[in-house]
Amino acid sequence: MNWIRQNPAWVMVGAMVGLLLFLWGMAIPLSAAPAPIGQAAQQFAEGSRITVLLTLIAGSAGVVIGVIAGLGKLSAFPPFRWLCDFYVWLIRGTPLLLQILFVWLAVPQFLPESMQISDFSCAAIALALNVGAYNTECVRAGILAVPQGQVEAARALGLSPLQTFMDIVLPQSMRVALPALANNLASLVKDSSLAYAISVVELTMVGYRVQAESYQPIPVFLTTACIYLILTTAFTTLTAALETQLDVGRKR
Amino acid sequence: MTATASAKTIIEAREVHKHFGSFHALKGVSATFSEGQVTAIVGPSGSGKSTFLRTLNRLEAHDTGTIRIDGIELNDDLKHLDAIRREVGMVFQSFNLFSHLSILRNITLAPMRVRKMDKAQAEAKALALLERVGLGNQALKYPVQLSGGQQQRVAIARALAMDPKVLLFDEPTSALDPEMVNEVLGVMRELAHTGITMLAVTHEMGFAREVADRLIFFDHGVILEDTTPENFFTNPDHERAKTFLAQVRHGF
Ligand SMILES: Nc1ncnc2c1ncn2[C@@H]1O[C@H](COP(=O)(O)OP(=O)(O)OP(=O)(O)O)[C@@H](O)[C@H]1O
Ligand SMILES: [Mg+2]
Repeated sequence: MNWIRQNPAWVMVGAMVGLLLFLWGMAIPLSAAPAPIGQAAQQFAEGSRITVLLTLIAGSAGVVIGVIAGLGKLSAFPPFRWLCDFYVWLIRGTPLLLQILFVWLAVPQFLPESMQISDFSCAAIALALNVGAYNTECVRAGILAVPQGQVEAARALGLSPLQTFMDIVLPQSMRVALPALANNLASLVKDSSLAYAISVVELTMVGYRVQAESYQPIPVFLTTACIYLILTTAFTTLTAALETQLDVGRKR
Repeated sequence: MTATASAKTIIEAREVHKHFGSFHALKGVSATFSEGQVTAIVGPSGSGKSTFLRTLNRLEAHDTGTIRIDGIELNDDLKHLDAIRREVGMVFQSFNLFSHLSILRNITLAPMRVRKMDKAQAEAKALALLERVGLGNQALKYPVQLSGGQQQRVAIARALAMDPKVLLFDEPTSALDPEMVNEVLGVMRELAHTGITMLAVTHEMGFAREVADRLIFFDHGVILEDTTPENFFTNPDHERAKTFLAQVRHGF
């Protein structure tokens, strides 16, 4: 889109401000809507904030996991490589709902009584592990796309392996991986709805409750869908602008 | 500039062997280079010229034999490696500029990270070097925006920013369009008179003859001739060298 190309920095700021305004201001116009939406406006707003918070927490942790496991897959140390392969294979081969239920029901059994984790944390952990596995492949491809000659040049200049990674490999591989990572983040907005299964009161759960009380599923689910569309649009606009912003080195 | 007998030895390679799997790429290479000497390295493709150059800053680790740079032995000791890489700069056939960084950042990165130079100082130095290679007005551009010849001159400036005692060139003009070869050779010619030690793998026989103090002819992983350019071009000792020269001349 042209307006993103021309002013990526402003689009990013705009999308972020828009998202914040939407999350904290949506209750005002919604409360003017007819029943059953009007009286549930605050619930919808709160549910949206939980959905976005879950997405942001799981999304950021997922990027960190993706970078670590993506590096691990390229590691010269075989056991670490096998571990990362196993992780990706396990997560991608099982349903997300099962992973969420597993973290919620099974993990507390390994923890001492005093160290119980909230439903929200369980959902965040499961979602982070899930999106992390998908990110791993993107990061790995990104790292492989960095020309080996640039790594050699950095090493020849005396940069340490860590400096070479942080200054040369990571920024360039993230630029390559970004479209795919952004895709995963947009999916995560929607995937976070599965957290309703472990009674996290996010957007889908709010919709479910409101329709159960009002017996009016159609307006309730239409409202829920509209909110999701606005959220995913904000996220994709944000990441598209970020992509353009980071693209400077390739611009002619 | 002919190296005098009293000049200090800066590189000492003794009986260096290197295998790639079962392939014997360097078969006991011995040579010493004194400070300020300009050496051209020539030889047929696959004869081990690049491999030899790359063992000198350990982009390839040699199997047996010893290499000393400025008195420091090149081995698995990372302190030695750091010390040596600060003293030895390298210019590659494919430039290997960092494509996500501006020309200025390409040059300032290593001095700031490795020599801990402050930003203002590093930038002043980078601008002076860019001026010296005739690119004073290109500092804020990105590598893709420059021609091959300009990129290679930036790569030379980047190597010089670390104040190396030795500069290694691996076919610095082979990837360039013919009309750009001279701008790079011009910079190298100017450098040759500054007292920096240069080892240049090159196919530019005119340059070797005019600028180098010494000429090394590689063949099948050994140094077959180690002489002056004058001697090599007028009166080579070995049949292989004669064949090589005939082929090169035929190419013109
Ligand atoms: N990383 C590597 N793995 C396996 N073989 C290699 C590797 N690097 C070089 N070789 C082999 O070692 C031999 C010497 O290679 P080198 O690059 O030193 O030759 P060169 O003299 O620089 O040739 P050219 O003029 O083509 O650049 C070649 O036969 C090459 O195939
Ligand atoms: Mg070569």
